[in-house]
Amino acid sequence: MNAHDTSFHGRMDDGIEPGKALLHVDNISLSFGGVKAITDVSFDVLKGEVRAIIGPNGAGKTSMLNVINGFYHPQEGSITFRGEKRAKMKPYQAASSGISRTFQNVALFHGMSTLDNIMAGRTLKMNKNFFWQMWRYGPALQEEIEHRKVVEEIIEFLEIETIRKEPVGTLPYGLQKRVELGRALAAEPDLLLLDEPMAGMNLEEKEDMSRFIIEVNQQYGTTIALIEHDMGVVMDLADRVMVLDYGKKIGDGLPEEVQANQDVIDAYLGVSH
Amino acid sequence: MFYREAGQYKATYEADSAKFPIFQDKLFIWAYLAIGFIAVPFFGNEFFLGAIMIPFLVFTLAAIGLNILTGFTGQISLGTGAFMGVGAYACYKMTLAYPDVNILIFIFASGIFSAIVGMFFGLPSLRIKGFYLVVTTLAAQFFLEWAFIRIPWLYNYNDSGAIEVPQREAFGIIVTGASASAEVRYIICLAVVVIMTWFASNIISGRIGRSWMMIRDMDIAAELMGVRPLYAKLSAFAVSSFYCGVAGALMVFMWLGAAEVESFDYNHSFEVLFMVILGGLGSLLGCFLGAAVIWILPVMIRDWLPPIVDAITPFTINSSQADLVSDIIIGVMIVVFLIMEPLGLARLWAIIKQKLRVWPFPY
Repeated sequence: MNAHDTSFHGRMDDGIEPGKALLHVDNISLSFGGVKAITDVSFDVLKGEVRAIIGPNGAGKTSMLNVINGFYHPQEGSITFRGEKRAKMKPYQAASSGISRTFQNVALFHGMSTLDNIMAGRTLKMNKNFFWQMWRYGPALQEEIEHRKVVEEIIEFLEIETIRKEPVGTLPYGLQKRVELGRALAAEPDLLLLDEPMAGMNLEEKEDMSRFIIEVNQQYGTTIALIEHDMGVVMDLADRVMVLDYGKKIGDGLPEEVQANQDVIDAYLGVSH
Repeated sequence: MFYREAGQYKATYEADSAKFPIFQDKLFIWAYLAIGFIAVPFFGNEFFLGAIMIPFLVFTLAAIGLNILTGFTGQISLGTGAFMGVGAYACYKMTLAYPDVNILIFIFASGIFSAIVGMFFGLPSLRIKGFYLVVTTLAAQFFLEWAFIRIPWLYNYNDSGAIEVPQREAFGIIVTGASASAEVRYIICLAVVVIMTWFASNIISGRIGRSWMMIRDMDIAAELMGVRPLYAKLSAFAVSSFYCGVAGALMVFMWLGAAEVESFDYNHSFEVLFMVILGGLGSLLGCFLGAAVIWILPVMIRDWLPPIVDAITPFTINSSQADLVSDIIIGVMIVVFLIMEPLGLARLWAIIKQKLRVWPFPY
């Protein structure tokens, strides 16, 4: 794929074979002052899989995602993405290397329309300079139209054609979550991080969202790491599950293995002392 | 009934993302331009053009500048007056150094100086936001005012401390100085404002404008989508200050004719901020509406209120008392708008348009 090809591929070409590790997290420790959010956690995400991260509230799941896309800088440990070991990295660098995410509490651009929000996801793909944009003519207009076509593909995929021009602030919660997924997809990520994509949804919306996640994974081969509390969804969607509790990894493996893991059961149900 | 989009289908994305997708809107814009460029200078007298329309256009341009920063990027600034001053002094120094160059070139070039200064004072925005940023931009205001007084080189060592606009020509017509006609100055201001409004609307609807709005709405998510806060914020400061600088140059060269440091004090910063708030944050149309209300309304009240009061009541008031009345009205309007309609007159206008589109069947 050359750099000027603007058609939608779903993800960048990362040159990593399916089944090999796309992301390596090694011995990460993160603390805020005296609070240890994550303690010595290692795991990997294989290319093309759906990796779930679960755990009780406050276990450090969202902190883990924040470490992966550069919001937090861990005190110890290293992250290797696409074979490159990263030092301290800024969120926009993570974005340009192919990591995209959605947020637990919807973080859409509320003053903008659905269309503009998803166009915002294309920011990194657009490069025409200020002086072309000033005239909105020639290459700048061309670029705008090409990316609009891609965005329309995503809108069609997510079945949100009717709200294309609505300001996202006025949309119901379920649709906002869907628009946010669209925005993350528009960046054509290699690794898509979903922070509780089903939170607060009704059954039908959950089914829709699950369908979109599976389709993204299978159609485009996008690798997905998701945090979710709905165990039914996690066990159905995920290829492998990692369990965190109080910032420590207590379980990792296939959904069935994790379900049978005594530590995990104790963490969720509590254990009598 | 006449304002309806039924039957106007868009077959391309280009047509769908046009600035005025509805045919009637296009018609209105051309009508406004025709009125502005032909009817107003033809029928307007010296007072109407010189004291109402030219300052209205100057403040509109400054409001667009501030709106780019405050309305579209979410960085509140109180340095507008000073950035206008930078433009004015830069234009003055340049035209003294090179008297033969077309003054219009210098008016645009002065925006570049203002943009550089604005970017410098925009640096704190990378670390702080909200009220704290307001304070640092206020520091820019006071520092630059100090510079305009204490650096005599800026006003060419005049005894009065003021800059006086020399007579300059463009395309063989006298455009600045005492003998320039109001019509010519008005047409130049209008042309600059129209062109720069068009540029602003293009930038805002493109990638750069979108990245500004992303920073405004949710800076964390913006960073994650690949927007670099450094570039987005500083480019907003630069473009905003460029507009303010050009507005400042126009203010002195096309309107005031002479200016000293009081012309760029913080009152102007507040005035422009009120225009933006009243007109509508994040709307270019709002800049025109806000400037119109805050500049033209007091002039009308000053001229019309005293005779009306004389005629219908036993009291008499003079024009300075009428100014107080307009202060009260504008103050109340700002408070009411902040509470009832934070998006200002432009939002009201959008609501009216929406109602017109579906009239007479509201569903």
